[in-house]
Amino acid sequence: MGAEFYQFFLNTKILFQPGISGDFTNELSQLKIGSWLLVTDPFFAQNGVADKIRAGIEAGGYKVTGVFSEVPPNSELKVVQSCIELAKQGGAEAIVALGGGSAIDTAKAANIVLSLGGDLVEDYSGTQTIPRALNPLIAIPTTAGTGSEVTSSAVIFDEGTQRKLSFNDAYLRPSLALLDPELTLSLPPKATAMTGMDALTHSIESYTSVQTNPMSDALAMKAIKMIHLNLLKAVERGSDLEARSEMLIAANLAGIAFDQAMVGIVHAMSHATGGIAHVPHGMANSIYLPYGMEYNLAVRTERYAGIAKRLGVDTTKLDTMGAARAAIQAVRELRASLKRLCGLPDRLRDAGVQEGQLEEIARTAVEDGASFFNPREVVYEEVLGKIREAY
Amino acid sequence: MAYFQSSAELKDVLGGFFQRLVDDPEIGPKLREAKLKIQFQYTDPPLSISVDTGQEPVVIRFDDAAFKPEVQLSMKADVAHRFWHGKVNLIAALTRREMVAKGPIPKILKLLPVIKPAYDLYPEYLREKGQEKLVLK
Repeated sequence: MGAEFYQFFLNTKILFQPGISGDFTNELSQLKIGSWLLVTDPFFAQNGVADKIRAGIEAGGYKVTGVFSEVPPNSELKVVQSCIELAKQGGAEAIVALGGGSAIDTAKAANIVLSLGGDLVEDYSGTQTIPRALNPLIAIPTTAGTGSEVTSSAVIFDEGTQRKLSFNDAYLRPSLALLDPELTLSLPPKATAMTGMDALTHSIESYTSVQTNPMSDALAMKAIKMIHLNLLKAVERGSDLEARSEMLIAANLAGIAFDQAMVGIVHAMSHATGGIAHVPHGMANSIYLPYGMEYNLAVRTERYAGIAKRLGVDTTKLDTMGAARAAIQAVRELRASLKRLCGLPDRLRDAGVQEGQLEEIARTAVEDGASFFNPREVVYEEVLGKIREAY
Repeated sequence: MAYFQSSAELKDVLGGFFQRLVDDPEIGPKLREAKLKIQFQYTDPPLSISVDTGQEPVVIRFDDAAFKPEVQLSMKADVAHRFWHGKVNLIAALTRREMVAKGPIPKILKLLPVIKPAYDLYPEYLREKGQEKLVLK
């Protein structure tokens, strides 16, 4: 049987063009906002990209009230609060976010309070808590991975409770996503690899979750094929604009897909591993992906068989189970190639995880929200087994 | 027409059902284990039910403005009534804003398998209570 229910909604305008981040005054004129705060991380504040974007905005006659460049790799409540304060001090009406998932999530969270007032955690953490449309938000991703430029969620770490807070609401999606592959040209090989594997994980998990729908399926399958054809090229030769373009688009498609269909056990294990052992999200996804696929193999055999073709496997002489196993093998081979090319770890022990942390990771993974969308029940003993294998 | 005609009727039906869930030998222990402080905010008719499964006995209070829940679920009373019949997909309801959830959603999602038997229990409870007319076909 097909989906019992699905809704597909995307309130983000997406523009792709090499160099588009340098001039988007046409789009700015449609948003009718006079003053903007630019939110980014220290890297882009220092390498001149933030200045270039600021100059582009100002050239169109719009004011940039300031640049908030204190976004860490995993954003925190206090960072969001500082961002809100800077926006208010300068009189910014709206935000442009430049960076990876952390910068965009920081901007999304700040935009809630900037638009509606109130207390970020008390009033808005949770699902569908935002009562009306927020001020415009422009997202300019600098990695091809998170898809945050089109997703309806933001994750912010609460230093007080040591917990990740999630905010989920259609109104959180940026109004405008600018996909400029030139911004990803300088991404180092290892970062390219792990963010690309993040996008691949989004695609595969959204295609096999309990909440798949025809729209997300189409986007996920297209993304898998594009990643298969371009990830190694982008890692091997960072200046390959075509490969970078395809990867940026693929990550965007995968972002739309998983925002609608959700993710599963791989993300559950990665979230837990990130929280406990501080392994970067994309790296953890890359390590866990084949193990998560094995976990779900029996209940998603046909879907994995379909994925195999997009991963370049000749399935003509394989039965469904054989093709499904070949998909998992293709993911393993991709990881092996990435390890050879840029040293991306394929085992937890090589990513800094201690053996003594494995049980806690498994316990946390079982309780993670992503586990709920996994096509097989996420059982502690079995998850621990997979985590041990990944170790 | 709304299923519940007054807050008093809603309180009687859902309040009593929550107590039944807590007392249920299969569901009750799992709810206690979850140690959840949850508040249901209903509209049409208005009522708030606060539940703290971390207390012994489990706390069930009505219209308690001082209660500080970990998770708050807001919905029309009709949606709640259909939910306890197993006729509402929680994710779909959240997606369509039939329900609004404040707080850590995984805690709620985790409880879904636990409360699944309640979908059979609710119509049974309504019949026992003489509220056959409220049972959805």
